[in-house]
Amino acid sequence: MDLFLQFLANGLVQGMFYALSALGLTLIFGLMRVVNFAHGEFYMMGGLLGWYVTSRLGLDFFTGLVLVTLVMAAFGWLVDRLLIERVRHLGEEPGILLTIGLSIFLVNTAMLIVGTAPEKVAGPVGNAPLIFGPIVLTKLRLFAVGCCAAAIVAAHLLIRKTRLGRAMRATFQDPMAARLAGINTARVYASTFALGTTLAAISGMLLGSIYVVQVSVGGVVSLKAFVVVILGGMGSFAGAIVGGLVLGIAEAMWGGYLSTGLVDIVGFVIVILTLIFRPYGLFSTRAERA
Amino acid sequence: MQKLGLIKAMTAAGLLISASAFAQDTIKIGLIQPLTGSVAYNGQADVAGAKQAVDERNAKGGVLGKKVELVIEDGQCKPANSVNAAEKLIQRDKVVAMVGAFCSSATAAVIPVTEKYQMPLVTGVSSEASLTQKGYKHFFRATETDALLAHTFAKIIYNNLHLKKIAYIGVNDDWGRGGVAEFSKQMGALGASNAMTEYFDHGTTDFYTLLTKLKASGADGVFVAAETQDGSILVKQIKELGLNIKVFGVGSWATSDFISLAGPAAEGIYAAVPYSATMKTPKNEAFVKTYFARNKENPGKYGAAGYNSLNIMMEAIERAKSTDAAKITSALQKTDYEGPNGHFRFMPNGQAWGFNAVLVQIRNKVPEVVMMAPIDQPQ
Amino acid sequence: MKFERNALFAFVALAALFPLLVRDQYLLHIGIMFLFYAVLGTSLNLVMGYVGEFSLGQTAFLGIGAYTAALLSQDFGLPLWATIPAAGLVSAVFGLAIGAVTLRLQGPFFVIVTLAFSEVLRLIANNWVSLTNGPMGIAGIAQPAFLSHESPLFAKTLYFYLMLAIVALSLYLSYRFVYSAIGRAAVTVRENRYVAQSVGIRPFRYAMIAFVLGALLAGMAGGFYAHYISVVDSEIFGFSFVATMIIVVLVGGKGTLVGPLVGSLLVTLLEEYLRDAKELRLSIFGLVVMAIVLFLPNGLMGFLARRREQYVASESPPQQVAATVTRTAA
Repeated sequence: MDLFLQFLANGLVQGMFYALSALGLTLIFGLMRVVNFAHGEFYMMGGLLGWYVTSRLGLDFFTGLVLVTLVMAAFGWLVDRLLIERVRHLGEEPGILLTIGLSIFLVNTAMLIVGTAPEKVAGPVGNAPLIFGPIVLTKLRLFAVGCCAAAIVAAHLLIRKTRLGRAMRATFQDPMAARLAGINTARVYASTFALGTTLAAISGMLLGSIYVVQVSVGGVVSLKAFVVVILGGMGSFAGAIVGGLVLGIAEAMWGGYLSTGLVDIVGFVIVILTLIFRPYGLFSTRAERA
Repeated sequence: MQKLGLIKAMTAAGLLISASAFAQDTIKIGLIQPLTGSVAYNGQADVAGAKQAVDERNAKGGVLGKKVELVIEDGQCKPANSVNAAEKLIQRDKVVAMVGAFCSSATAAVIPVTEKYQMPLVTGVSSEASLTQKGYKHFFRATETDALLAHTFAKIIYNNLHLKKIAYIGVNDDWGRGGVAEFSKQMGALGASNAMTEYFDHGTTDFYTLLTKLKASGADGVFVAAETQDGSILVKQIKELGLNIKVFGVGSWATSDFISLAGPAAEGIYAAVPYSATMKTPKNEAFVKTYFARNKENPGKYGAAGYNSLNIMMEAIERAKSTDAAKITSALQKTDYEGPNGHFRFMPNGQAWGFNAVLVQIRNKVPEVVMMAPIDQPQ
Repeated sequence: MKFERNALFAFVALAALFPLLVRDQYLLHIGIMFLFYAVLGTSLNLVMGYVGEFSLGQTAFLGIGAYTAALLSQDFGLPLWATIPAAGLVSAVFGLAIGAVTLRLQGPFFVIVTLAFSEVLRLIANNWVSLTNGPMGIAGIAQPAFLSHESPLFAKTLYFYLMLAIVALSLYLSYRFVYSAIGRAAVTVRENRYVAQSVGIRPFRYAMIAFVLGALLAGMAGGFYAHYISVVDSEIFGFSFVATMIIVVLVGGKGTLVGPLVGSLLVTLLEEYLRDAKELRLSIFGLVVMAIVLFLPNGLMGFLARRREQYVASESPPQQVAATVTRTAA
C-alpha cells in the first residue's frame, strides 16, 4: 500500500508537469489547428533562458521567470506573425513542415550558442526530502506543482474573463464572423500563439530547476505533450489537466509494477486507444461537421 | 527558378571549401564523432581531446615530416550517417586512417566499410564486446569493454563497500545493458544477491518511480550505468527521496560537469572509470593542464579517449614509416603507447590491455582516486 | 500523363548509365542513398499525395522491412534476393493492420496516430531484446557471398543497380496505381471526401490500397537498407528518417510522381554539400526547409506545373485552355 501511495504521488506530480507543458500545445494545436512540432523547442528555450537569467545575469527565480515570460511571449508573437501567418490558409501540412523546420533550426542553433552540456536552473527553494507518512516529496516539487496550478488558473482567467480571451474564443468559433464583428483576427492568432509559447517556456524553466536543462530535450517533450492533448481533447484546459494526470499516473503505475524500461510506450498506447475509441478526447463533445 | 540558383551557389561554395582542403601536403586522419544529437556533449569532448593530440604532435614536427590534418565528420551516433561519413572520408578526403565512431552500433556499421577498404580504424569509446570478437583485421579498440572493467573492479568494490544486496540500474542502450549484465554477473559470482534490475530510457528526467522500487527492494548498494545528464539527475533524486544507499557506477562520472550538476548529492559516490583527471601518472598532469587551458574544464573519459586514439594512430603511422594502410595496420598491432591513463598494448584481436582504470570516490567535489588498477589481458 | 511517363523512363535510363560513367565509389554511395530516399519519398507520396493525409508513420514500414530482412538473413540464412521481397510483403501485411486502425481518422488525428505507431514499434524494437537484440541492434548482416571476391567498386555498382531495380518497380507500381480507376478514385477522395462518397466511392478502401502499396515499397527499401548498411537498430523507426522523407515529398511536390525524385535529389545533394558547413549544417537545413514552405509551398514540381499552366493559359485560346488544364491536373 505504501508503495502504491508513493507511485500515486509520483504520478500526480509528474502529471501536473505534463499538464502544464501540454497547456500551451492545447491552445496552439487545439484552437489554431497548427501541429506545432517546435513545441518542445519552445520548452527548451524557456529552460535555457531560465538558466541564463538565473546564473549569468544573477537574477532570482521569480524575476527571471517574469523576464523569460516577456521574452518568449514576444518570440511567439513574432513566429506567428512572420511565419505561421503566411501558411495559415494553406491547410495544416505547410504548418507541420514549417514547424519541423523551425524545430530543427532552433535545436541546432541553440547547440551552437550554448553548447551541448546540460545546465541547471537555480530553483527558489531547496531539494531536501519532505516526508508525509509513506510518501516522500521535496519542497521544490511542491513549489513546482503550485506554480503549475497558478499558471493554469491564470491562463484560464485570461481566456474566460478578459477581452482578449473573448476575442480568442470568438475567433476560434468562427473566424469570419469574428472579423465581421470587428475583431482583429491576426492579432488574436498571434496572441494565442504567444500565449502557447509562453506556457511552454514557463514549464521549461520551472522543470529546468527540478531536472536539467539541455538542448536536446525538445523531442520527448513534444511527443508527451501531444499525447496529453489528444487524450484530454484539443483546446480543452480541463482536458489538458486530466490528460496530464492520467498520463503521469499511468506511467508511474506501469513503471512501478511492470518495468521502467518500457514506460514511454504507455503514452503512445493511450494515444492509439483514444484515437480509436474517442478521437476527440475525454473532454470534447464535438461531432464531425461536413 | 530562384531555387536552382541557390543550389548552384551552395554547390560552388561547398566545392571551394573542399578544394582548399586539398591544397596542402598533409597526412589526413578521419574522425567520426557525434557532433549533433543527444550524445553530442560527449562526442565534442572526444573531438577536443583528439584536436589536442594532433596539435601537440604537429608542434613537434608532425608525422613522417608532414603535418597531420584531422578531418572531422558528424556521425550523429547513427549507423547510416556514420557509414555516409566513412564513405566520404575514404573516397573524397582520401584519409589514410580513421578513428571513430563513438556509439557501438555506429562503429559496427562503419567496420564493414573500413574492412572492405582495408583502412585501419581505432575506437576509443565503443565498448560493446562483440566488436573484437568477429575477427576484424583492421579494427582496434583502445578502451575497455564492460566485461574487462567489471572484471577489474568488481572484487574491489565488493570488498571496499561490503555489499550484500545490490540493485542494478542502467540506461536502456547497448552500453547500459552491457554494463549492467557484466557487473551483475561478476558481483553475483562474488556472492552479492541481485535485488533488482531496471532500465530507463536515455533522456528520462524523472526517476522517482524507479527509485521508489529501489527503496522497496531493500538493496544496500546500487550500481548505475548512466551518462552525465541522466546520471546526475538520478543521483540527485536518490538524495531527494532520502535514500541512504551506497552508489557506485560507470560512465562519465568523474567529471566536474557531473559533480556540479549533481551538487551535494554527488558526495560519497564511487565510480569505476577508465580515466579521471585526478589520476596520478607521469603523463596525466601535463595532459590535464593543457586540456584545461584549451577547453576551460578538466578532461573526462571522452576527452582522454580522443587524445589516446589519435596518439596511438599517429604513432603507428610513424612506426610504419609509410601511409600504406596495410603497414599502418601491422604497426598498430605493435602499439606500445604511454598515455595519461597508462600503457596501451593490443591483443591479436584488436582489444587493448595494460592501461589503467580507476575507482574514484567523490569527496568534497573532487573525484579522489581510491584505487588504480591495470586492465589485464582478457582470459 | 505523357510527360510523367516520359520523365520516369528518362530518369531510369539516365540512372542506369550513371555507374558506367562515374566510377567513384563515394559518388556511387551518394547515388545509392539518393535512390533509397527516392523510394521512401514515392511510398510516402502515395499516402500524402494521393490519399491526401499526412503520415508520420512511414518509418514503421521502413523499420519492419529492415528488421524482417535482417532477421531472415541472420536466423535463416536467406540471401538478399529472398529477404527484400519478403521484407516488402511483411510490411504490406503490417500496412493492412495499421491502416485498418489509422485510416479511420483524418487530419491532425491521423498525423499523431501514425506517429504513435512508429514510436511504439521503436520502443518494442528497443526492448524486445530476445527478438531484435534491443538497443544493440542486429549487426553484421550478410552480404551476398560472391561479392567477397570482388572489388568494392563492383559491389557498390551491384547495390546501385539493385536499388535502381527497386526504384523502377516502385515507380511502375505507383504509375499503374495513379493512372488507373483506383488512383483516380483516390484523387477524388483527396479532393473532396464527401463528394466522392456521394458518387459511391468508399474512401476507406482506396486509402487502404494506397497505404498498403506505400508500406510494400517502404518495406523493400528497408530490406535493402539492412543489407547495404549491414546494421539495423531501433533508430530506424526514429524521427530523423521521417523528417527527411517528408521534406523529400514536400520539396519535390506531392501528388506528382516525379516530385519525390526531384525532392530526393535536392535533399541528398543538400545534405552532402552542407557537410562542409560543419556545425552550421543542420541549422541551415532547418532554414532551408522553412524557406521552401514559405516560398515554394507546392514543391518544385508543383511550382513548375503551375508555371506551365500559366504559360499555356496565356498562349492558347480559351477552349484549348480547359482541355490542357484537365490533362495536367492528374
